[in-house]
Amino acid sequence: MWLFLLPGLFANAALVFWRYSTAWPLMPMYLGPATLPLCLGLLITLNRRRADDIRARRFVLGLTLFLAVAAFLFPKDFYLPFLKSNTPTSHLFFLFKTLGQGCFLFSAAWAWAGLLSGKPQQFWFRWAVWGFAFWTLCMFSGMLWSYLGWGSPVVWDDAAITLIMATWFFYISLLHLHLTGTWTAQARAAYAASGAFVVVTLSFLPDLGPLRWPF
Amino acid sequence: MAVLDTMPIFSYIWKKLAGIHLTIVLCLLLAADLSLGYVCLNRNEILFAPLNDVGLIAWINTYGRCNLKSTAWLLALLVLLTLFCINTFVCTTDRVARLIRHRKKYPRLRLLFRLAPHLMHYALILILTGYLSSYTFARVLDSRTLVPGSSLRLPGTEARIQFQSFSPDYYKGSRMPAFDQHVIRPRARLLLIDGDHHRKAELSYNKPVIFKNYGIFLKDFAPKKKGGGMNSNERIDLTIRKDPGVFLYMLGMLLFTAGIALYLTDWMAPKNGKRRPDE
Repeated sequence: MWLFLLPGLFANAALVFWRYSTAWPLMPMYLGPATLPLCLGLLITLNRRRADDIRARRFVLGLTLFLAVAAFLFPKDFYLPFLKSNTPTSHLFFLFKTLGQGCFLFSAAWAWAGLLSGKPQQFWFRWAVWGFAFWTLCMFSGMLWSYLGWGSPVVWDDAAITLIMATWFFYISLLHLHLTGTWTAQARAAYAASGAFVVVTLSFLPDLGPLRWPF
Repeated sequence: MAVLDTMPIFSYIWKKLAGIHLTIVLCLLLAADLSLGYVCLNRNEILFAPLNDVGLIAWINTYGRCNLKSTAWLLALLVLLTLFCINTFVCTTDRVARLIRHRKKYPRLRLLFRLAPHLMHYALILILTGYLSSYTFARVLDSRTLVPGSSLRLPGTEARIQFQSFSPDYYKGSRMPAFDQHVIRPRARLLLIDGDHHRKAELSYNKPVIFKNYGIFLKDFAPKKKGGGMNSNERIDLTIRKDPGVFLYMLGMLLFTAGIALYLTDWMAPKNGKRRPDE
């Protein structure tokens, strides 16, 4: 696995570094799809404690590959960055969004692995909580950026704000289900596993552009 | 709470409103409604852009009513968020009252950690209340243009803003040829005049100036490029807002962040020498 993962990670890190440093001090708004596979790859490399859980690892690796291919074939980061992204809050927004997505997808992977093994563990909950914390910080840095740049709490020019809020509400319901012990452990794990679909659909796909055949 | 116990009908309604199932259903409805909102907003961005300038009530009476097919999701969102706020308030107040009743059972720090989720709940209500007041009561002067030397008076006051000079930073790198010689950070020097008091301020993108409770935001500027080409006359376009909701939603954000920090600290801290299990 490492034979493919590590070179892939280095290539992805180099690409993100190059694109980001090109746009600096502005924020490359549509680099998210290329950064998410890097985030997942780093999380799986650093998270050695549960590296024995082969099902979750396979799920994350499969997802990383899918996201990397999608980001490669459907790039949107050919747009020039815009001047109002020249602020620390925009970079924090980008960072927290990527970390939030990564943690949510990790949570879904462990929930999925638990379901397949027939004994759903609660390890997914840890990642869901971290994901929720990062996602909330992403929303708050977005709000702050919106206030400083436009004077209002919501910028209606970008529809993606509604999907960020939709994902947040989805995870609020999941955390409440878990913390209050509502539903069985199996049902809660199934709900957490469905988070992968929600995160990819609501916060990854909208950032993709049209197909651009690279060869 | 004692009042509720003596009146069974109120007690019944209170309990129903505090239900966790209601929270789950509302969250899922909100997620679905916001996803639908993405589609509508993407197709009709132009309908929603005036919301920040004209305010919620005027927007509903004009754009909202006349384009119900595209705006119904936002009206539904308002109803759902109101229900969600009520549910959150009732549910968390119930639990906080219980915690306070049994406060002697917990050491002070433990009680603080147990209050962290409730702090987040109240903070969320504060944020949403701030949003509502912002969209209902904000006074907005959109697109006020100033050229060097000109000034404008803030409504309802004798205070004036004078645009003195424009001294932007230009892009110096070579990594983005499209930005060559272009402004990377606009800087407008303003003189804020309030009677005999004069104060200098610098206005830029993401760096508003606050003066007499008004927020002054840079909306646009010219020239965009060194030399300027055909558009070389210096000018700045301002958005001026008096927004009573800002303090509320900023305070809410701060409290919510504090609540998350407290919750994570408690959750990550070792319990009786062991790390807390993932449950």
